[in-house]
Amino acid sequence: MIVGEQKPLAEIKNIVAPYSKILILGCGTCVKTCFAGGEDEVATLASALRLSMKKDGREIKIDELTVERQCEDEFLRQAASNISGSEAVLSLACGAGVQMVADRFKKTPALPGVNTTFIGILEKQGLFTEKCLGCGDCVLDRFAGICPVTCCSKKLLNGPCGGSQNGKCEVNSDIECAWQNIIDRYKALGQMDRLTAYYPARDWRNSSAGGLRKLVREDHVI
Amino acid sequence: MSIPEQIKFKPKITVFHCFNAFSDPSLVSNGNFEVKSVKMACSSLTREVFLLRAFESGADAVVVLVCPVGQCDYLQGNIRAARRVARMKKLVDEIGIDGKRLNIYNVTRGDKSAVAEIIQKTVSDLAVLGPNPAA
Repeated sequence: MIVGEQKPLAEIKNIVAPYSKILILGCGTCVKTCFAGGEDEVATLASALRLSMKKDGREIKIDELTVERQCEDEFLRQAASNISGSEAVLSLACGAGVQMVADRFKKTPALPGVNTTFIGILEKQGLFTEKCLGCGDCVLDRFAGICPVTCCSKKLLNGPCGGSQNGKCEVNSDIECAWQNIIDRYKALGQMDRLTAYYPARDWRNSSAGGLRKLVREDHVI
Repeated sequence: MSIPEQIKFKPKITVFHCFNAFSDPSLVSNGNFEVKSVKMACSSLTREVFLLRAFESGADAVVVLVCPVGQCDYLQGNIRAARRVARMKKLVDEIGIDGKRLNIYNVTRGDKSAVAEIIQKTVSDLAVLGPNPAA
């Protein structure tokens, strides 16, 4: 999922300061799962903003709505009347959702209420861990299902670097050494011979380094 | 229950409580302060937005009463409630109305005097904090 974190209230207050009637628009998929932008977070933020504005002697009218996915027209369309009735939309979706709102509703300012952080997994209740950089050229088959591009601080394809201690990364001792994990998993899979393979430098043009990426599925384009 | 003399307003306190922790009907307002009771089947039902809406509805303080650790009928309801209240205390600070207005207490089942003390302490704290500035 895409993991995000709600911006601090003070920052959100500054962002919405020019407006007196806003829509807080949640997204019911990724950011709901990471407690940043689902129905509950929309309601809590709306209440917090109302209280804070009132304390400052200001009044703000806040409409609240959560759609299943802000990054798809089919769902975003359901918010059309709420958006047209608001001076601005404070989106609690990831950056893609905010930009989708901006693109589809050109006369209404789309404002971000969430910092989009990474693509990751729910490691355990309340703990989210980054697992994918979206590099556009997946190599997980070669590294026993553990991504050195994402999980190794140095992004080494030919590791380990030799700097880890007790399975922890020398860059940050809170981080597990990705290469220690890759080797442990090679052992478990009986694939230790893979450790001697050499991987040449990657072609990073498939990643965001090659500019804005688009994916076209001709069979779905009409 | 007495009230400190320096209080110049009638404090409103909203009490969210697990009915296993406390269900005494004597938790009512008197002439000096007003108590609104919100009964829950378990303190795990403590939702962040309801705590804030209590302040929006005019509460000067919000109190959450939960069972002692290890005695929740549903195992972790009181622990989850404590985590949420801790998070909301910070948000109430950020809002600017003082996180000290929101508190959670573990209460042994049927301990009426403990609850009376908690209400008394809350009323005393409000003497310093004053009325909810966002009410």
